[in-house]
Amino acid sequence: MADFGFESSDRKEEFFSEAQEIVDALGKLLLDVEVTVAESRVDPDVINEMFRAVHTLKGIAGLFGATRMSGMSHELENILDDVRMGRLDLTAAVLDLLFRAVDLYTHILLFERGDAPDPEHQIAALLSSFARVTQPDEAPTSNIFTQFDLDPGLFGVLTEYEEHRLKSNIESGLALFRLRVRFSLMVLDSALEDLKKKAKPLGEIITYLPAPSTDESDFENLELDILMASKCPTSLIETTLSIEGLVVNPVLRRVGGAPPPKHGPPKSNTPLPKIGGAPSMPPPTIAGPPRLPRDLIPDSVATPAPSRKSSRPGSRHSLTPAGGAGQAAQFVGKSAAQTTVRVDIRKLDRLMTILGELAIVRSAVGRLAERFRGSVEHRELGGDLHRLHRTFERHLGQMQNGILEVRMVQLGPVFDKLQRGLRAISREYSRPVNLVITGQETEIDKLIVEELSDPLMHMVRNAFDHGIEDLEDRIKVGKPEVGTVALNAFQKGNHVVIEVEDDGRGMDPKLIIASAIRKGVITESESGEMSARDAYRLVFVPGFSTKAVVTDLSGRGVGLDVVKTNISRLGGIVDITSDVGIGTKMTITLPVTLAIINVLIVELAGRSFAIPLASVEEAFVYEPARTRNVEGREVLSLRGQSLPICNLLKLLHLNTFDDEGRKYYVVTVAVGIRRLGLLVDRLEGQQDIVIKPLGRSLKAVRGFSGAAELGDQRVALVIDVAAIVEEVLAGDQGRYLAIAGDGRG
Amino acid sequence: MRRVLIVEDSNAVRTFVRGALEDEDFQRAVGGFDVIEAASGFEAMAQFPRGTFACIVTDINMGDINGLEIVNFVRKSEAHRLTPIVIISTQSSERDIARGLALGASAYLTKPFSAEALQACVRSFVAPDEG
Amino acid sequence: MADMVRAHARDLRRATDTGKRVEYLAFTLGSQIYAVPIQHIAEILKPPPVTEIPRAPRNVVGIISVRGKLVTVIDLRRRFGLIEAPFDRSTRILLSDTGDDEPIGLLVDEVIQVYRLSEQEIEPAAALGGDQPAYILGIGRQDDVLLVLLELKSLIES
Repeated sequence: MADFGFESSDRKEEFFSEAQEIVDALGKLLLDVEVTVAESRVDPDVINEMFRAVHTLKGIAGLFGATRMSGMSHELENILDDVRMGRLDLTAAVLDLLFRAVDLYTHILLFERGDAPDPEHQIAALLSSFARVTQPDEAPTSNIFTQFDLDPGLFGVLTEYEEHRLKSNIESGLALFRLRVRFSLMVLDSALEDLKKKAKPLGEIITYLPAPSTDESDFENLELDILMASKCPTSLIETTLSIEGLVVNPVLRRVGGAPPPKHGPPKSNTPLPKIGGAPSMPPPTIAGPPRLPRDLIPDSVATPAPSRKSSRPGSRHSLTPAGGAGQAAQFVGKSAAQTTVRVDIRKLDRLMTILGELAIVRSAVGRLAERFRGSVEHRELGGDLHRLHRTFERHLGQMQNGILEVRMVQLGPVFDKLQRGLRAISREYSRPVNLVITGQETEIDKLIVEELSDPLMHMVRNAFDHGIEDLEDRIKVGKPEVGTVALNAFQKGNHVVIEVEDDGRGMDPKLIIASAIRKGVITESESGEMSARDAYRLVFVPGFSTKAVVTDLSGRGVGLDVVKTNISRLGGIVDITSDVGIGTKMTITLPVTLAIINVLIVELAGRSFAIPLASVEEAFVYEPARTRNVEGREVLSLRGQSLPICNLLKLLHLNTFDDEGRKYYVVTVAVGIRRLGLLVDRLEGQQDIVIKPLGRSLKAVRGFSGAAELGDQRVALVIDVAAIVEEVLAGDQGRYLAIAGDGRG
Repeated sequence: MRRVLIVEDSNAVRTFVRGALEDEDFQRAVGGFDVIEAASGFEAMAQFPRGTFACIVTDINMGDINGLEIVNFVRKSEAHRLTPIVIISTQSSERDIARGLALGASAYLTKPFSAEALQACVRSFVAPDEG
Repeated sequence: MADMVRAHARDLRRATDTGKRVEYLAFTLGSQIYAVPIQHIAEILKPPPVTEIPRAPRNVVGIISVRGKLVTVIDLRRRFGLIEAPFDRSTRILLSDTGDDEPIGLLVDEVIQVYRLSEQEIEPAAALGGDQPAYILGIGRQDDVLLVLLELKSLIES
């Protein structure tokens, strides 16, 4: 084995941890199986899982030179193979052996680590017991598959086990089905999980075949051809799985059991429906494997004789008719460059952390340069160092931008998903709607994008359900028959703005307020004080719904409050503007990136805090004489506008000495269209920081988006401006009227 | 940069294969490439639209989408059909290996294999002078 | 045999502990000596500057930076309802390592020594009677010293 140098102990550790994990899992599976054996309802999936566990153990043991382990695994694999192939019954004796084997695995692992004696004799004893229980009967295999009108090319891609499962399902009288589905790669894991869960009670999925793509620049979707055995009728499978675009086709039994054609490309005797009516593709010319290095293939398998010639590549170009792109084909996103690499975002985070450390070094060098320049005897040296420092700073900045750029992804795929979603509900409710999209090329941090599609979908549904009027109503007021929902995105400074706009009935503040009073969200006397904007904010209160008839779409009273929570978790804010009879616009304002940020360091009661500069408008000396008290809130008049003031000391419950006669600064922060003045003791300066999340035990603490190192081991909390603004200005229901919106009073 | 795709559901085997392929001397000898990992057939499917590979190394016995289906898919794909494929599997699945070769896999290695054997095999497909 | 093996499969972890002496790191809080399995301690730190977190749970002293990673520090005195003590020269932070969980810093008065305890020297919490909190593993006795043995995972989670 090659010498891998310093990394090899890491790799060995990887081996131990994976092996132990597998052995533990095997022990658990065995316990499950024991129960099912007693009730004679053994799940073939569990047996197969055990087989695969041992198979993997054998594989990795071989690679890492754990010979005891690979030897035993080899025998165990044979036994489990016999069991899963139905050649060996799972008797009590076999079960006991398997339990002993699991026990022995742990022992072997300890031995390999050097923590236990060599279990050589125990293994020998177990292997001899193996020999006694395994006498599989070699029943001749009849070709049961010929009964089915199955594409012979299909068999070429079944593993031996899959073929066995197929056979045993046919033998127990189940029918076969081909399922065609199209999944978005973005949600593949959950879609698959969902499919498996729903399919389990219906029967057994034999295999998933990725369908050859008709559009190879399709980055978004994966089309699958699924072979399934089930007792249920087609319609039940369709309704139980209920997947958009799913096509279920029964595989017909041949009359008289004629064998399938053995040579030449068979005619399309498994007629799958053409979905979406895409034009059929010319048969691709398939070249054989490019190069086959004979010397690498031992004689025994060098010239494999495939059981059916027709399973050779090229003899049949597709398992499915060409042009099988799903109905959503027209909604597929734009193609992107072919030369992309997928990078784990954690790797970028690591780079960012290193960059943060470098930024700290940079400022230390800068301070040193300044000190030298200030001294008489080192002035020249200081000048040189200063120039070097400037160059360093510039390159560091470029590198930072470069890494940030890599984290950026376009909003396009999210918008495409919204488009598909809107299309689905529009069809479901037979209400046509136009969707206009602009700015899909706008880029935003990948981490933000991942969290964005759910809240946006809620907003789009909300626009469709509550915004767009029924056809008759639209005609009555002279609007175009088909309503329009617009999605607009654009960058604005360090923020990305996403608007969801509709040309529907708009939101009437009076109706919202009336509804809120009826629901007990606010009292009659409170309502007198409310501006239109205050009223719109009511729709974000949990449990609030403005539509009289609650449909099963978005108007379940949950939704917009969740949207608000999700968006503020990303450091963003949602705002509503609306004109009755004309339409509603919801605006999300989000930071472009979550990774590295430029902050203003402020001091508060002797502690340092960081405020993201992207949210800071200005900072000035606080003059108590210019403030007034409005409904218990301090408000400052600034250039003819009122700015509500927040005493952070009080809000954060910070202890301090007597604060009589202290000089304060006001830092004006803005999120969306809301502004707030934060009172701080001192302004320390600006700095680029790498923001790190607070630990899990601090999850519940509101008001901070993380913390960052400032150098000299000092750590400063980063103020979550959106959360503070939210807490102070909107607050929870009880403090709803504490809002002192701009332009009031 | 050229890329080699590993499709394998065992972390340890993937780590081993990556280690062997990223070995400095080996990389220098073959002219360098990046190693991309896929922990399942589905992850591999997600990789295929994103660019081509100098070579694909795949396990056979994987859940859901198995290695044979990957070979089949690759050979039918316009963009990837010429990509060399190396199957890695255990000896006991001889029949599956035979099927893989029948479907158009370029070579196979039975587990356990040495890093050198893997390197020699991959080298025969990606060495610059043979390109 | 098979029964034994089955029990084993249910709890593989316990089997690896039997017959071995386990090492515990002992420290003081007030006048009491506590100890935690040393395999769950990654590092003993002299306290760096601690940044307090406004509105955090009472047990949390604050956060520190350990080689670029943020670590939440819990005051074990507050955790056990003792009076807080100011930091002094012997104050230490134990950095936990419980596998998958994020590391947590535990503020203690003083670290004393490592004890190697055999099974006979440990009285399990169950034998102590009454309702013991989950984070008490038991009581260790060696050379007239009584150690309250703590289980880190449940101590941190509770």
